[in-house]
Amino acid sequence: MSVSIRARGVRKAYQDGERLVQVLDGVDLEVQAGELVAIVGPSGCGKSTLLHLLGALDIPDAGTVEIGGQSLAELGPRRLAAFRNRTIGFVFQFQELLGDFSALENVMLPGRIAGKRSAWVEKRARALLEEVGLQDRLGHFPNQLSGGERQRVALCRALFMEPPLLLADEPTGNLDPESGAQVFDLMLDLQARHGTTALVVTHNPELAKRCGRLLALEGGRLHAERR
Amino acid sequence: MTSTGVGRVQRAPLPLPLWVAIRYLKSSRRDAFITFLSMTAAGGIALGVAALILALAALSGFQSALKEEVLSRTPQIEVELPAGTDPEVAREAVQAVGGVQSAQVAVRGRGWLLARGRSRAVEIVGYGSDLPDLFPEATSRTPGLYLGDGLVGVWGLETGDVVEVVSPIPTLTPLGPQPRVRRLAVEGTFASGRAEQEERLALPLSEASLLFGRSAVHRLLIGCEDLDSALEVAGNLPAVLPTGSTVRTWRDLNRVLFFALRLEKSLMFVAVFLIVVVAGMSLVSDLTLILASKRPEVGMLGAMGAPPSSLRNIFLWLGGLVVGLGALSGLILGVGGSWLLDRHELLSLPSQVYFLDHVPFLVRARDVLAIVGTTVILTFTCSFYAAHRAASLWPVEALRR
Repeated sequence: MSVSIRARGVRKAYQDGERLVQVLDGVDLEVQAGELVAIVGPSGCGKSTLLHLLGALDIPDAGTVEIGGQSLAELGPRRLAAFRNRTIGFVFQFQELLGDFSALENVMLPGRIAGKRSAWVEKRARALLEEVGLQDRLGHFPNQLSGGERQRVALCRALFMEPPLLLADEPTGNLDPESGAQVFDLMLDLQARHGTTALVVTHNPELAKRCGRLLALEGGRLHAERR
Repeated sequence: MTSTGVGRVQRAPLPLPLWVAIRYLKSSRRDAFITFLSMTAAGGIALGVAALILALAALSGFQSALKEEVLSRTPQIEVELPAGTDPEVAREAVQAVGGVQSAQVAVRGRGWLLARGRSRAVEIVGYGSDLPDLFPEATSRTPGLYLGDGLVGVWGLETGDVVEVVSPIPTLTPLGPQPRVRRLAVEGTFASGRAEQEERLALPLSEASLLFGRSAVHRLLIGCEDLDSALEVAGNLPAVLPTGSTVRTWRDLNRVLFFALRLEKSLMFVAVFLIVVVAGMSLVSDLTLILASKRPEVGMLGAMGAPPSSLRNIFLWLGGLVVGLGALSGLILGVGGSWLLDRHELLSLPSQVYFLDHVPFLVRARDVLAIVGTTVILTFTCSFYAAHRAASLWPVEALRR
């Protein structure tokens, strides 16, 4: 299952002391359902900001964002939260796993938030972790896992609700090259198998080239990038 | 390890906010500082609750003993009859009222006791047929003069010794006003109240009438089944008494004392409750610190779709758990401590100075409910600040590093 993304004239600025920094200055984006798109650009150019806006984690100063035809501006905080739970899976550079919960429990969280049946939630979380080779690490806490393992747990958590959209912000940015490559392979594999629309923000040009389409964020706007 | 961790999965799941709150509270292995802060806040609440229970139990113990002491020497109902009334007629009328167990004519006035070259101002109570219950532990029941055992001991008097009782109302003689003096043998003693401000003596009504003459105000001392029924019976008396009679219950006779006791308890509650207020402030800073350290996790929960109400409830549950833990520990500490101190009389007092030889502790359910209720309401309210901040966090703000 997948959804399309449509963003029109998205603008976002931050106040930096006295200075107003216009990070996004009229971003237009069209992503087809099932597509895998990489967004590249220098640090601080607004890649993460764009991802947050597309993921309904933040609201733009101007412009519109539609996910699967649903305008995010029309949703209030509660419905927006439910929309994120059902529709979007997030993978962040620092994983953001809950330190007091085991790997299994972390993966179960989206299901618990959705109010799914406990037995089903646990069964699915186990299956996902087994799928990424972590069947022996179910009860381990995040500080007992390696960076690559943590990112695999985060990936399972992002895909738990079978979201039609996966947003990944520097998913390999905090990993050594070998682990990074493994996690990226896994992510592409899962994306292909689950048929999810995916948007990946990355610094790594080699990994970006493996995505279906490459976009560069420069001067607050997106441009198609040649491979 | 694996089995332990997997075993932590909730089979019958708790609500998500409670699940997260419990994990944050138990996060000693991974974040000892947070657990330390939570335990400090809970400890403050426990200390406040325990201190309040102990302080009020000690006060209740003292007040109860004092009340018992004072009430044992106060008539349950006292009726002051208007001048010219036949006290016997009034007594018979009162005796017929439902709930009245005993009614006795008495007079009351002030005077002096002289013996062995010493004198002492006393309250003189003239009694009818029997020595009233206001004079407990009497050594004899024969009508006669009864003195407090404290005074008898200090003055070295014995039963049969003759003393003089002097009235302040003089008798007019051709030689001018002469004091009215009765020379009487000591018939027995009664237990002096150590809480009493004034020495008392009891003598037969006939002797009292000679001392106070026509100016004597007759009273009826009325006994009922218990203190509560006395209050009820008092309301029925005016109907059978002559106009101008004044009915006073044990409560009216000790109104000032009871007011002072209530005031003392209220002030003590307010003063000691300040500990709980400080603990509440500590809880606010504790939850704010937890929110600051768990900010990215709270943001991630929001990103995963936890609604603002769930994020708020995590911190309300966390506050509730700390408050519950603190209040329960304080309750056990306070009630247990009071019981131990009272049972084994661990805090002793010089019995020559006080009317008790140890500090009594009396835990009243009403006090405990008020303490725990007020504490829980106040400290739980303190959780709302952190809970509100968590609920109003946009996920992106929380996730930003």
